[in-house]
Amino acid sequence: MPLSWLTTPGRRRGAGSKHNALWKTCGSGDPPAARAPGRAPRGPGPAQAACRAARNPRAGPGAQDPLELFCWSGGWGLPSVDLDSLTVLTYARFTGAPLKVHKVTNPWQSPSGTLPALRTGHGEVISVPHKIITHLRKEKYNADYDLSARQGADTLAFMSLLEEKLLPVLIHTFWVDTKNYVEVTRKWYAEAMPFPLNFFLPGRMQRQFMERLQLLCGEHGPENEEELEKELYQEARECLTLLSQRLGSQKFFFGDAPASLDAYVFGYLALLLQAKLPSGKLQAHLRGLHNLCAYCTHILSLYFPWDGAEGPPPRQTPVGPETEEEPYRRRNQVLSVLAGLAAMVGYALLSGIVSIQRTTPARAPGTRSLSMAEEDEEE
Amino acid sequence: MSLVAEAFVSQIAAAEPWPENATLYQQLKGEQILLSDNAASLAVQAFLQMCNLPIKVVCRANAEYMSPSGKVPFIHVGNQVVSELGPIVQFVKAKGHSLSDGLDEVQKAEMKAYMELVNNMLLTAELYLQWCDETTVGEITHARYGSPYPWPLNHILAYQKQWEVKRKMKAIGWGNKTLDQVLEDVDQCCQALSQRLGTQPYFFNKQPTELDALVFGHLYTILTTQLTNDELSEKVKNYSNLLAFCRRIEQHYFEDRGKGSSSIRSS
Repeated sequence: MPLSWLTTPGRRRGAGSKHNALWKTCGSGDPPAARAPGRAPRGPGPAQAACRAARNPRAGPGAQDPLELFCWSGGWGLPSVDLDSLTVLTYARFTGAPLKVHKVTNPWQSPSGTLPALRTGHGEVISVPHKIITHLRKEKYNADYDLSARQGADTLAFMSLLEEKLLPVLIHTFWVDTKNYVEVTRKWYAEAMPFPLNFFLPGRMQRQFMERLQLLCGEHGPENEEELEKELYQEARECLTLLSQRLGSQKFFFGDAPASLDAYVFGYLALLLQAKLPSGKLQAHLRGLHNLCAYCTHILSLYFPWDGAEGPPPRQTPVGPETEEEPYRRRNQVLSVLAGLAAMVGYALLSGIVSIQRTTPARAPGTRSLSMAEEDEEE
Repeated sequence: MSLVAEAFVSQIAAAEPWPENATLYQQLKGEQILLSDNAASLAVQAFLQMCNLPIKVVCRANAEYMSPSGKVPFIHVGNQVVSELGPIVQFVKAKGHSLSDGLDEVQKAEMKAYMELVNNMLLTAELYLQWCDETTVGEITHARYGSPYPWPLNHILAYQKQWEVKRKMKAIGWGNKTLDQVLEDVDQCCQALSQRLGTQPYFFNKQPTELDALVFGHLYTILTTQLTNDELSEKVKNYSNLLAFCRRIEQHYFEDRGKGSSSIRSS
């Protein structure tokens, strides 16, 4: 419990921790903002109805050792800025798994050193996203419960398609494309991470992603960077079109209730749609596929209603503690300026650069001019 | 292939009909070729047979280096060289032969997705087994891969390739997997394929498509290649409809044609 105070940003989350029990039954692992207290089980009415799972044979809320999920915190209107974290969070929301979510901006705070990471009730730490989802499934939070065998096979196939075609482009868009990286990605990470990590960690992450992309695509024999890029984006556009065709006019990929495939697809699409990218070639194509956009906004509004409304939390959180410290900071600033001035004036007086003249009291005007002349001579 | 080159090739390709002397290059069948390359080559052969296009298989020790993308197999048609199943399918389509024209959009999407599934899981598992499993590497792969070359080149090339493959495995997250987990993944993949196939003769009912060719290539190779142990082929044998599927394609497209130039019984 104390851990959530340290890691979850902003006072609101800490205050919300006592509402954990309330929210566990409602199927959200994330206590909402402080405006929640009066509100009864919030509108997970639609979410619960639409939600396939929680065939949870276990006893009521908060009975067991809770599963803890560490993930990147939110930004750009999304609950998390990282693809894997977003996928896992979405799956958890779909299934109503009672996760205690720690949104952190420092990967070293996670038990495995990487994000996302799931700490199970037995203290085991899992950090590969699809293994996290598999674990949740084993704990009976299964969004694929109602899928037929063939739909399960389709899930695997489409997941492979996403990984082969969309993932390289996502990495390229956010981490390799210079404009995007400098103006969006690095900016967010550098602002969100604590000192002194913000100096070197984004750069290191970029190098890791670039290497990964190189290994993923290097085998296609790139003649040069631009051609490889064009090819990648071409395949990604095709992939998006395929997804759009497969989704058709349904609400989710397999009917009316979300499944794990929806979590994966949502992760990719949400990042591509929501982040304000200066050079968003794929974004333009994606915006043209209306059913995918509607799908994204539908899931966001249904399962992450307050995350979208809050705007970019990481920008708020630095402001939060700042406003608290503001009076002290201002006072410190004023004091330091005064101290500086005093030091300068004192030095000037002592070293004779500036000297204070003691003027003698006034005599008769006639003699004054003489004495003034004398004083002038003295000086 | 770059986009411009692709468009250019398609244009040229469309102009000429399929010649009689089209050849497919792969490594030496008896001594050199490895599981994954054999699977890829068989997939292309199956695809071309399904399209009714004649092809002659030629084995060369340096096929990997001749290929424009570094992967086998590649085909030499007219004065063009195209490698790997994806580009070959497009090339053949430009010439006017296609197996997937009858599919609607959703089915095409599914077909592409399943092809990626096979590439993602089966092919990667084959590569893992060949290059990251120490017993197989020691007993089979090193010897086979370097067999056409004199000492010490055979060792150097084999180690170099192994290092490359291991790096790639790490990049995609397979570096820390154990053999059991990999076999588990193969089982999942076969289960997915089996469920998708169901009781139909081919994946999209009556007519075979490139997906059928690809699946046949991989499964048949797994079933008929002798490795240090039989675990991989056992996983496939669990699914009877996949076995029937392989048998059906073999009978239909390889035995009946009577083109004895390449027997598809792997070593």
